[in-house]
Formats: sequence, C-alpha cells, structure tokens
Amino acid sequence: MPSIKVIILTLDTLKAVGLRCILERSFGIEAMVGDNNYFATLITNGEPNLFFVDTHLLMSHLNFFLPRKSKTIVLSGGFNQIEDFDLIDITSSEQEITSRLNKLLKQEEKKEEKSMTTTLSQREIEVLKLVAMGHINKEIAQELNISINTVLSHRKNLTSKLGIKSVSGLTFYAMMNGIV
Amino acid sequence: MTLINHDSKLSEIIVHDPSTITVLDRFGITLGVGDARVIDTCHEKDIDVDFFITILNTYINEDYFPQEILASFNVAKLVDYLSKTNSYYERNVLPNIERHFAFLLSKSPLANNNLVLMRQFFDEVKGELLQRIKNDCDSWFPEIMSNEQQTSLSVKTVIRDIENDCTDPIEDKIDDLINMLIMHLKGDYDHNLGYAVIVAIFSLKKDIKQNNRIRNRILRPISQALSHTNA
Repeated sequence: MPSIKVIILTLDTLKAVGLRCILERSFGIEAMVGDNNYFATLITNGEPNLFFVDTHLLMSHLNFFLPRKSKTIVLSGGFNQIEDFDLIDITSSEQEITSRLNKLLKQEEKKEEKSMTTTLSQREIEVLKLVAMGHINKEIAQELNISINTVLSHRKNLTSKLGIKSVSGLTFYAMMNGIV
Repeated sequence: MTLINHDSKLSEIIVHDPSTITVLDRFGITLGVGDARVIDTCHEKDIDVDFFITILNTYINEDYFPQEILASFNVAKLVDYLSKTNSYYERNVLPNIERHFAFLLSKSPLANNNLVLMRQFFDEVKGELLQRIKNDCDSWFPEIMSNEQQTSLSVKTVIRDIENDCTDPIEDKIDDLINMLIMHLKGDYDHNLGYAVIVAIFSLKKDIKQNNRIRNRILRPISQALSHTNA
C-alpha cells in the first residue's frame, strides 16, 4: 500500500492536514497536498495513483477529472452527490472515514494487481523478456537451458494467452508491463 | 447477403455493408447513388461491370474468392484497383486512425503509458505499410505493367501456381494491435474515443485482409509468371 502515490487537492488547510494525518497514521501513505497551482506542475511531477479532491476544485477542473474518474475520490460534505465519482463524507466520524478509506484503497490495490501479467507463468515471462530483448529461439534455449521445442511451446502459449503474434507486438507488450 | 449481380441496387449494397462505400469510391462512385442498379452506374461511369461485381463480392464475402475469374481480368485493372486501394490507405485510413489516436491520447491522463506505447506500435505498423505502398508504386506495379506489355502470356496459365494464403506481417501486426487494445488496455482513458480507435483499425484490417487475397493469390503469381516468361 505505501507504494501508492496520493495527492490531496483542496483549498481547505485543515481538511488537507486531517486527511494526510489519517492516511499516514492508518495506512502508512505519505500524501502530497496541492491547490489550484498543482495542475500547472502535473507534467513535471507525474501523475499519482489517486486524487483526493474537494468539490470546489473538482467542479472547477471537471475536464481534468472526468477521464480520471476511476482514480478520483471526492471529499464531499455529506449531501453532495457527484455522479460516478467515489466519495468520502468528511462530516462523518474519524472511524467511518478510516473505514471508507480502507475500502477505497483496497479497491485501488486490486486494480494494480489486476494490471499485472498474472496470466503468464514465470517461465513464459522469462521467454517473453528474452524475445523482447531481440534473442532468437536458439539463444533463448541456451540462456534458459531448455530445448528449442520447449521455447517454441512457451512462445505458442504466449501468443495464445496474449493474442499477440509478432516479435515487435510482444516487445511492446513487455514494455507496457515493465517486463523489459 | 446473396452475391451482388448486374441488377443489384447500389443503395442496398451500401446499407447491407457500409464499408463498401470505400470500395465504391475507388471506382469513382460516391454517396448519393439514388436507386441505380450496378449495371446502370457502371455503364454511366465506363466501369467494367464484371470486374466491379467480382471485386465487390470478394470484398463483402470472406468465403468468395473466384481465382480464375479474377486472374482472367486485364492485369492493368488489378494494378489500378490495388493502386487506388493503397492510395486510400495512405490518404484516408492511416490519417484517420492517427487522428483518433491523437484525440484519445490528448483526452487521457499522462500516466496512461500503455496507450502511448500502443500508439508507437501503430506508428511502426504504419511505417511498414507506407514502405510497402512505396515499393508497390516505385517498382512492383511498374515492373508488372512493363512485363505484361512485353508478353503474350495468358494469365490463366498461372493459376495452377497460385499458393495458399501465406501470413502477411502487416496483417499480423494489425491483429496484434487490435488484440492489445481489446485485451490489454488498462488505466484511465476516454471510452468513446477508445472505441473510435478500435473501429478505425478494424476497418483497415478488413480492407487489408480482403485485398491481400487479390494481391497475394492473384497478382503475385501473375507477376512471377510474367517475370519468368521475360527472363
């Protein structure tokens, strides 16, 4: 969980300090805090995994948040219903807020796990890595100390599982998933 | 749809399969076809009606591939059709996919790195397709036309040499790109724009697949036979 990068965007200092404190104490997450100026520095800072944003900044930067709906959590005042966005009612008790945060952070954790290449075996990942690095089947067999037929079998499985046939397609897939 | 014939109405052909609009365009037929029949429009525009019908049926029906009929047409007609097909890819299809991709990227969070990589993969496919088009235009098509003028070879004699479908690296990569988008797209993105990219790539895939049959199973054997005859 601590590897998740979080930003709190609000003009309310107490709201920001309170949420940052709960995130650090209960979840070991060191959140950054930003305001209107944050959007200008986004390119240099890179995007976080999660945005906590108050309704005021959400509405004034709706075009920014709409495509980031799945990673935005709105700090709502209890009665605000913002369609399709996950909400935290900041008027509820600390215990309720912590429980809600726990649920939302677990959802984010599951998303991260889902995005990993879980359908591939360790051996298939090793073969994929070598394919992406430009090795031919014979070299892969030598490197992994397996027969060429076994390499061919792994490659067939890779194509079948990933739906990708070409070497450059496999290379891009490996890059997309941090395998190379 | 049953096979298109002389009396089929152009409007019904388009309604049944709107992607035929792009094939009709290669014959100089644009929207606003009224209730004209195939034979009327072909006469009006001086199009070889049998060639037109064969190309359309080949395009619409995956199972329809009349090798002997296709090989019996004048080579210049096949070359002209494939040149216009290339031109359609270069001027319309590739820029269209690029536009959709650019729009999708511009509306997606910067962190969605896998979309950026998919776009780079598309650039690679595009580069290979453009290189093939250049090669067709600069050397392969002129060579076929030149050899054809120097020989009296009957194209029907080459049919027996036609090989089965071989895999085409460009087709394979387009399939890979489609599967990447369908199976492996993740992170935040604008869903509608994502669908637009996929539909545009599917349209290219269908066109290339259908026309590769004419290219690889008809024109290539003819080209090889003409080269041997003139060697």
